[in-house]
Amino acid sequence: MRAISAIAVLVASALIFAACSDDEGPTTLTVITHDSFDATEAVIAAFEQEHGVTVTLVKGGDANQVVNRAILNSGNPEADVLFGVDNLAFRRTVEAGVFDNYKAKRRDEIPADVLAQFGDSTAVTPIDYGYVNINLDRGAELLAPSTFEELTTETWRGKLVVEDPATSSTGLQFLASTVAYFGDGGWQDFWRDLKANDVLVTDGWEDAYYVQFSQWGGDRPLVVSYTSSPAAEFLFADPPVDRPPTENVIPGPLFRQVEAAAVLNGTQAEELAREFIDFMLSDAFQKQIPETMFVYPVIPGVETPDWWQWAEVDVQAATLEADQAEIDDWISEWTEIMRR
Amino acid sequence: MSFAHGARDGWRWAIPALLLLAPFLLWPLGSMLWRGVAPEGVTSGRAIAEVAGDRFYWGRLAFTIGQALASTLLALLIGIPSAYVFAMIRFPGRAIARAVVTAPFVMPAIVVALAFIELIGDVGLLGTLWVILLAHAFYNVSVVIRLVSGVWANLDPQTEEAARLLGAGRVATFTRVTLPALYPAIASASALVFIFTFTSFGVVLLLGAGGSFLGGPLDTLEVSIFRLATRLVELPAAAILSLVQLATTLAALTLYSWLQRRTTASFVLRADRARPLRETSRAERALLAGVAVMLGLLIVAPLAALVHGALTTGGDGGVTGANFARLFEDTGRVSYIDPLQAVRWSLSFALGATLVAAVVGTAAATAITRTKGGLGPLVDGLLMLPLAVPAVVLGFGYLTTFNRGWYDLRGSPWLLLAAHSLIAYPFVLRAVLASLQSIDPRLPEAARVLGASPWHVWRHVELPIATRALLAGSVFAFAVSLGEFGATLLLRRREFATMPIAIFEALGRAGEANLGRALAMAVVLLLVTTASFLAIERFRYREVSPF
Repeated sequence: MRAISAIAVLVASALIFAACSDDEGPTTLTVITHDSFDATEAVIAAFEQEHGVTVTLVKGGDANQVVNRAILNSGNPEADVLFGVDNLAFRRTVEAGVFDNYKAKRRDEIPADVLAQFGDSTAVTPIDYGYVNINLDRGAELLAPSTFEELTTETWRGKLVVEDPATSSTGLQFLASTVAYFGDGGWQDFWRDLKANDVLVTDGWEDAYYVQFSQWGGDRPLVVSYTSSPAAEFLFADPPVDRPPTENVIPGPLFRQVEAAAVLNGTQAEELAREFIDFMLSDAFQKQIPETMFVYPVIPGVETPDWWQWAEVDVQAATLEADQAEIDDWISEWTEIMRR
Repeated sequence: MSFAHGARDGWRWAIPALLLLAPFLLWPLGSMLWRGVAPEGVTSGRAIAEVAGDRFYWGRLAFTIGQALASTLLALLIGIPSAYVFAMIRFPGRAIARAVVTAPFVMPAIVVALAFIELIGDVGLLGTLWVILLAHAFYNVSVVIRLVSGVWANLDPQTEEAARLLGAGRVATFTRVTLPALYPAIASASALVFIFTFTSFGVVLLLGAGGSFLGGPLDTLEVSIFRLATRLVELPAAAILSLVQLATTLAALTLYSWLQRRTTASFVLRADRARPLRETSRAERALLAGVAVMLGLLIVAPLAALVHGALTTGGDGGVTGANFARLFEDTGRVSYIDPLQAVRWSLSFALGATLVAAVVGTAAATAITRTKGGLGPLVDGLLMLPLAVPAVVLGFGYLTTFNRGWYDLRGSPWLLLAAHSLIAYPFVLRAVLASLQSIDPRLPEAARVLGASPWHVWRHVELPIATRALLAGSVFAFAVSLGEFGATLLLRRREFATMPIAIFEALGRAGEANLGRALAMAVVLLLVTTASFLAIERFRYREVSPF
């Protein structure tokens, strides 16, 4: 039975090793983020030096999944700070009580309408925001639709790809915009019409954008993406271009996605966690937000790079009041309409 | 029958598998299912009634089984003739060809989707049942080829020659002598392909997007479970569907295992380098050409399209290495993953998982052959369950069970290794089991009569014969770890990011450079995979000596 004892030794040593290696005390700050999180090495290193800690970053899925993980591990968090909860996913955390309240030092500088997106709760601190909209592939040489209604006309039959709001936070943001615009009853009809107009649903942004969107793999010139995506296309173009190969389509008022950070309830490093949140509102961090995460800094007046002009859009922000039960109902109704 | 040759120590051989299964499968899975079904008795009762009364989910179950059967059949139709070619015909580049046809196994679904589009030129085929079947064949044909050709090459040619001498024609010799000897291998391969396609996720999600078949979406149960589980409020329904998926798989496997025991003809397998490759006949050359065209279109063409894409994305459309150079350019962002580190971590996990899988899988296969009577098939089915557990359920399960005190393994690479080992060992199990069950029972019996202990019989009779199968299974164990994405995604850390994670990271942002980096990383994955397979093959011929 040599094999069996070998296995036993392997398992035992694995457990011992893991138990030891994780016992690092308060010299580490663990931050769980959504997948789109990014920052320059330099800015994180500056925080580490100033506080004498190592920052461990954990990518935990999209906004929904990060929140799911926090709820499933409620009171026994896998990190000290959570970044990436947005104003829709936030509703679910309220009841679960997964965050500790903290009033960040620069909180007063955050615009009031942004704070209002979280019901002025101090459980979370807004860090950045963005808009989910529609991107048009310029190569298709089509005149951009100017209203939501236009998307259901013959011109745009089979041209649009959207993400499933049940599995993609991008999709949920877009659904929220249509709910805000059409109101109850109206939005369901709009989606029925979209379905009849051969809209394509994917589960995630990656497959919508890189597989189905005609700018890349697919044959659909309209994709639900972000108002900053054309700017990213400009920045990452190879060879460089004069203007982005895609353009922003603003079919109506857009729901604003505000991304926030929070101290996780049960953390062993509360003081550090708070300092990290203040750090995320510092000029140094806010300034590098456009180039690393392609969203807008929440502190007004922060200097942005030149190419960011392609992300500057004139958007009328949609307003929407909804609690978690209502959001769940939208998704269920949407699923009934689109998936069955 | 081979499993009843006197040894009665089956349970002891199951210990390694139990040591792996109890903490890393049963505990987290049980915890998630409990969380989904138990908390509010009334709610879950209602949830069960709702799911059971919903024709939509019955439709998904029927579709899932149907497409899995069709995919398995397709993989067999392409795989068996190919297996003959790889087993019997000498042709230049055989080793490389065998490595390349196995490479799809590790490819992330999104990369395959991009390669298919690049190849077909438009997306008309996307969202159809056909592209799903085709992609399943692309992924799984190598399972049939490897498992079946391994046994085929090992068949003692004298038995076939004897049949011919006794007056059997070519066809009769094939259907009544050769094919029965191959049944265990074919059945093993079918079982693996069936489970793999039954629980298919990425392929269905990406290539089936927007499609419909018989009035329902192209969603497998696994996809439905994922959609429900990502919304925590639907966890009860997700848990119920998970149970349905597990129960269906268990039933299918138990049935298959039971059938296999009834039909398996023992055959003389030889442990040495098997039959010498003969001169090829005209018919064989035609078969070789046919198989080459078939595999060329199905497997080589999409892979070539991927390489082409990596070399031409960006720039003026000409061939350029820019994307590969870009991989190594540190962006100065925390999202940057060093490609060499990713290769190193992928290989470390794959090597570790393969070693664990080799030990656990071989022991488990022995346990099954040594378990008496009707219990064997059930044990067999249970031991294969890791392949049937929805990745999202297992991932959440890990995060919510290994979360306290000394067993707080969230963020530990060991947890990832355990997950990889768990889904890797069933491949070794299937391959080795097929080989053990093909052994002429008189062989171990003779050894027993001559006074060998069960351990000695295993070590000096059974193991040497199963070595070739063990290596075939190890190739897949290695591959399954290299390509693993579902559990890795939930347990990942930048500090030990694997190649599939690096691809996923690059695809997280808009822009040509990001797509280029993802494609280049996919090509690196392809190269590393092929090279690893070739290395394992070399090991196979050097180290395996006839007993």
